[in-house]
Amino acid sequence: MQGLGVSQMGLIPVVVALAILNAGSASEVPRPLGVSLAKASLYQPQAGDQSWTCLDGSRSIPFAQVNDDYCDCADGSDEPGTAACPQGQFHCLNKGHQPVDIPSSRVQDGICDCCDGSDESQVVGCPNTCLELGAAAAVQRRNEAELHKRGAEKRLEMITRGKQMKAEREARRLELDQRHKEQVVLRTEKEQLKQNAEALEKEAIDIFKAEQREVDAETAQAEQEPQQMRQEASLSFMRYDTNKDGFVEVTELMVDMNLDRDRNGVVTIDEAKFFLDERERLDLDAFVTLAWPRIKPLAMLAEGLFQPPQPEEVVKQEEVTTEGIEPTPPKPSEEQADLAGEEEIEADEEGEEDQYEDEEPDVGVGEASPDVEEVTPPNYDPETARLIQQANEARNALEEVERSLREIEQEVKEIDEQNSKGYGLTEEWAVHDGQCYNFEDREYVYTLCPFDRASQKSRSGGPETTLGRWDKWIGEPKKYSQQKYTNGAACWNGPNRSAIINISCALEPKITAVSEPNRCEYYFEFETPAACDSEAFQAEAENLHDEL
Amino acid sequence: MRFALCTVAIIWALFVLADGVDPGNFKTCEQSSFCRRSRKVQSSGSKYALIPGTLNTYADSLTADLVNKENHHQFAFKLEALEGSTFRLQIDEKQPLRPRYRVEHALKGQPRAGSIRVQRETDGEIVITSEKNKAVIHGDPFRIDFYENDVLVVSVNAKNWLYFEHLRQKAQEQTPEPEGNENQQEQDAAVETPKAADAIDDPGAWEENFKSHHDSKPYGPEAVALDFSFPAAEILFGIPEHADSFVLKSTSGTDPYRLYNLDVFEYVVDSKMALYGAVPVIYGHGQQHTAGVYWQNAAETWVDIQTSETNVVSSLVNFVSGSRNTPPPAAHFMSESGIVDAFILLGPKPMDTFKQYAALTGTHELPQLFSLAYHQSRWNYNDERDVTSVSAKFDEFNIPMDTMWLDIEYTDGKRYFTWDKFKFPQPLTMIKNLTELGRHLVVIIDPHIKRDNGYFFHQECTERGYYVKTRDGNDYEGWCWPGAASYPDFFNPVVRDYYASQYALDKFQTVTADVMLWNDMNEPSVFNGPEITAPKDLVHYGNWEHRDVHNLYGHMHLMGSFAGLLQRDPNQRPFILTRSHFAGSQRYAAIWTGDNLADWSHLQHSIKMCLTEAVAGFSFCGADVGGFFGNPDSELLERWYQTGIFLPFFRAHAHIDTKRREPWLFPERTRQVIQNAVLKRYSYLPLWYTAFYELELTGEPVIRPLLTHYPQDKEAFAVDNQLLVQDRLLVRPVMQQGVSKVDVYFPTIDDKKNGDWWYDVDTYQRQERSGYVSVPVDDNKIPVWQRGGSIVPKKERQRRASTLMLHDPYTLIICLDRQGKAAGSLYLDDEKSYAYRQGKRIHVKYEFGNGQLVNHFVGKPKYKTNAWIERIVIAGLEKVPSSASVTVNGVSQQLEVLQHDLSVVVRKPGVKMDVDFAIKLNYV
Repeated sequence: MQGLGVSQMGLIPVVVALAILNAGSASEVPRPLGVSLAKASLYQPQAGDQSWTCLDGSRSIPFAQVNDDYCDCADGSDEPGTAACPQGQFHCLNKGHQPVDIPSSRVQDGICDCCDGSDESQVVGCPNTCLELGAAAAVQRRNEAELHKRGAEKRLEMITRGKQMKAEREARRLELDQRHKEQVVLRTEKEQLKQNAEALEKEAIDIFKAEQREVDAETAQAEQEPQQMRQEASLSFMRYDTNKDGFVEVTELMVDMNLDRDRNGVVTIDEAKFFLDERERLDLDAFVTLAWPRIKPLAMLAEGLFQPPQPEEVVKQEEVTTEGIEPTPPKPSEEQADLAGEEEIEADEEGEEDQYEDEEPDVGVGEASPDVEEVTPPNYDPETARLIQQANEARNALEEVERSLREIEQEVKEIDEQNSKGYGLTEEWAVHDGQCYNFEDREYVYTLCPFDRASQKSRSGGPETTLGRWDKWIGEPKKYSQQKYTNGAACWNGPNRSAIINISCALEPKITAVSEPNRCEYYFEFETPAACDSEAFQAEAENLHDEL
Repeated sequence: MRFALCTVAIIWALFVLADGVDPGNFKTCEQSSFCRRSRKVQSSGSKYALIPGTLNTYADSLTADLVNKENHHQFAFKLEALEGSTFRLQIDEKQPLRPRYRVEHALKGQPRAGSIRVQRETDGEIVITSEKNKAVIHGDPFRIDFYENDVLVVSVNAKNWLYFEHLRQKAQEQTPEPEGNENQQEQDAAVETPKAADAIDDPGAWEENFKSHHDSKPYGPEAVALDFSFPAAEILFGIPEHADSFVLKSTSGTDPYRLYNLDVFEYVVDSKMALYGAVPVIYGHGQQHTAGVYWQNAAETWVDIQTSETNVVSSLVNFVSGSRNTPPPAAHFMSESGIVDAFILLGPKPMDTFKQYAALTGTHELPQLFSLAYHQSRWNYNDERDVTSVSAKFDEFNIPMDTMWLDIEYTDGKRYFTWDKFKFPQPLTMIKNLTELGRHLVVIIDPHIKRDNGYFFHQECTERGYYVKTRDGNDYEGWCWPGAASYPDFFNPVVRDYYASQYALDKFQTVTADVMLWNDMNEPSVFNGPEITAPKDLVHYGNWEHRDVHNLYGHMHLMGSFAGLLQRDPNQRPFILTRSHFAGSQRYAAIWTGDNLADWSHLQHSIKMCLTEAVAGFSFCGADVGGFFGNPDSELLERWYQTGIFLPFFRAHAHIDTKRREPWLFPERTRQVIQNAVLKRYSYLPLWYTAFYELELTGEPVIRPLLTHYPQDKEAFAVDNQLLVQDRLLVRPVMQQGVSKVDVYFPTIDDKKNGDWWYDVDTYQRQERSGYVSVPVDDNKIPVWQRGGSIVPKKERQRRASTLMLHDPYTLIICLDRQGKAAGSLYLDDEKSYAYRQGKRIHVKYEFGNGQLVNHFVGKPKYKTNAWIERIVIAGLEKVPSSASVTVNGVSQQLEVLQHDLSVVVRKPGVKMDVDFAIKLNYV
């Protein structure tokens, strides 16, 4: 074939410029282009017939067909230095930097992939940048090592503090267990005392009541509440009526993010209309009666005034049948009791809109029950009053013990929760629990409170949107390199928001970037000394060096 | 997510139901006054006749006057013979009150005139011939019969459904003037009382309301409609764009097919509803004859289809008796305004009609190779880092990728020609990072212009009066992505020039000449407009109403864009993707099937829709791989890639609300299936590229329905889950969920059930039998066959982008027919510039026969390349040759022949692409 006068024939040269053997001073072992030193021994012709067997053993070919720019082996092993085989690998020696294997598809494609330029022919003219890159990489490795070293010192402090906190928690936990036991005993005791006192009290009151049966204890409630309601409503009306035309319109409500009932970040027309009784606009009177009752709970919720009643408190209120016990409110009227029940539902944000309308006719009705202050206890005889007083004291004493128990249980729960969060292998993360870090971009302020939540707030105001609540560590293979926060506010027409926190080493804790590559899936880049691990870094670096 | 997006979402929500298209947003025929009026004629018929003594004949044409015998209004009729078995028929009012719109810019140039000879002129009948074709014009009732070689193939107005509403003055006593109507002309009018026969009493004749939108209709009724029968045909196809079967369905009892460019949110399949594009060309196909009609009208158009559902027995009877007992298929075109301007394409074979249509409206020119490779898009790649890292991931996983796309979010607040400076602070660096790897960037530029006084483009358009106007002469203001937006009037050549100049690199400084273009939303889409588009009473350049030109708006936009890219870099072939399109838009842009759904039925429709587009001029067609809306599961995504690689335009794209779906985000197995599919696409790029060159050269579509090459096989007519790539590959992708086999139809070439031989491209296993064959498939299998008798060029080396394959060697796949022969072609050039038009190209035909492969160059091979032939695969040989010898310039050399299961490989012939050679197989 060599004798055929390639150029006249129009046949391409069989041996391309690249396919010469590497035999320079760089590598002592002569071997075909694209073959690493480690594999050099595999590329030797069979003595005698000068044949060569594919590395997968599938075929024997003349050794001259190695790197002849035609793929003969199924595993691509005959073309380590050309692009002929689809599965092949090309070994860049990259003397002065890191050697690397690149796919054969990048050999002779006109792009310099190896820093020593060995993947391209001379024509392309790839500069050899290995020394510079190697030096730069070394500097970077040193810097990183230094960072990890200094960071690790800080981390040590965090570990010390974390371990100390853990010890404190454990000590506290033991103490609480002990106190819990004590209080349980105490409760039994107080329970008994209370029962005794109440039995005496009941007897006395029954007698007294029998005597007072004719006395009519007719009561009514004051109408103060409706007036107060109208006043609030008017104030709110004026706030909403931004164009001062005497009407509150849909668009005027759409700016109030408190009305974003499904918390998707926007008040839709439908949402706004709901508050306007499905009308386009309302005047003051209509607003007071129709709109305010719907808006008020959300306004209160936003201001933190509206605390949904705790179920046990409600039960407690109902249990209390006797006047004169200081912390409890007066016995609610039947309507109010209903209302209280409904407020609970409203607090879940799924309240039915009619509830306040039902209340409407009652508002301002004259003969309501007397006001709290005006309630005067019946004039008991001294003995009965004394027994009542004693019963009250017994009840208070029991209540005291129960409250203390609840407090203990709550604290135990908190400690157990903290223990289960996983503050790292050596408690280095514990100090981050309870801290919050902010990051501002053009539109938003992002907040990360490790082990609690990630959130987002528009820089132009509006409520905070939860991007996720603490879920778990998800780093692979290093568990403590990534956190996940899930179950954030739902996206419009989409999933609940969630956030993933990528963690890297730095001297001060801070968020360096936030992105949303998938809609409603956020990524935070978070730096902290807690992630600095000098030893691990050294180990990795040495590993790398070994390959070199 | 962003607040602005929320707002947009809410605005959308005002128009649409959450679940699929809301048909209530779009008109039915019954809700469209002119459709009602035109369709009514189907029951009563019309009475038009030529006026005796008005006939004039010329070398290439004849003219005569035509009269409506009921109202005596007169029309000018012209019939013209064109080169290539085509006639053009025009009817306009003889003396219209004002000029009626005639479509411009759709034809690629002045059609070349043919010649006619008047054979006979009797009272009431004129017979003319033009070469082997004949037209018989009947005077009363008016009708024209077109014969191809003495076979009647198209009959015009055979049903007497011609309907031409002449322009008229509005009668004063009619419905009160719409508010704000200050048209002087109309107030002066009403001197004439319309004759009873002339009255149009439809309530929508002079003004029309749809939902909350009012159409003032200042010029009143002006519809045109005409019927075309296809006596030699059994099926009709064409008139894209609809998400429907390839073969058109009867519209008896349903709405007509509608051609009105609309932005349809979550469109449904199996529907005659209008979509983004309108190409009013229809074909009638029968076993012996195919003919077509191009109805050149840019106004809203409805098309009624009459087909009789014939069964095999009745058609056999017809075939035997030579007559049919059912009426032939027919189409009734109904347009809201304009004139009758119809081109009759006489075939006789399917490919002839496609070429006749291409001769009128042109073809896509040879695209840059990269645009035939894989495109990676998403609404949106968020910032520079995102773009760079997605590009890097393709390299990490060794999946070739040529082009990254940026949807609307890259702009500064949807102000086109600007960048969001925060997310994309260094666009030129980002672009350089891509182009250094051989990749490209495509950015979106939509026609809606943000009404922001601080935006230079809006300022200049406002100051210079470049926007489309309302009736009152104000700039029309609609609502689209940027919020309040106006729309440049691309019908004005000055506006097009201005628009084109915006692309100059010294003007649009943040891109390079390697950044190409995506024109979306150009129907135009107007979120708060009637049917989500512009009101019909807007006024364009030349004082034409939007009504007259609606379906051309996107086309004019493209003309501006194309000119811009060409001026920017005169030696680089522009690449543009458009959503809206009209007849002729294929000269400027590729299309995709718009906002489809991640659903198996939409996957199936990607082929049906692109086949119809391909025969209507738009070979460069594809669908969003994976589906635009919704989240495909692994299986659907795999199958979509496998299908997408065999459509000419191959792009993955997804809605902003969807989950990310780059291949590496799926399980490894899925990633590998996708990688294999993409690699397969890249290996066939030489075939695609050759096919596009041959499209430009001849007008022959790149992808084709089976009937193109198997016209006599009735069983093949309606097959639209398979396609042919040229006449070389038969593709039947898996498009159903969870199947382990698919039924493939192998067409017949004669009435004895003989078919071609087909070779499985993966195994070279041969199908010798025609008819349906059940073929097993696994998740990696894409059922594709190469036709016995064809030669397919491939490049089997992998690269990360197609541009890096320029010098890579070729593999020729030779599949033999029953005679042991095969032929095929290859085209190559620099894959980027216009140098090929100066002859810097190689177009070569390969022929194999008698154990020998030879080549013949078409023209001189003047393109210089380092590429060579690395391998020749031959399937279908009876015996395995012992060796081969290649001869170049009389010098021979021995080649090794390797035996594989069902093929042999000639190892490394090593011949360069521009030399004559012969390779002979040796049998010792």
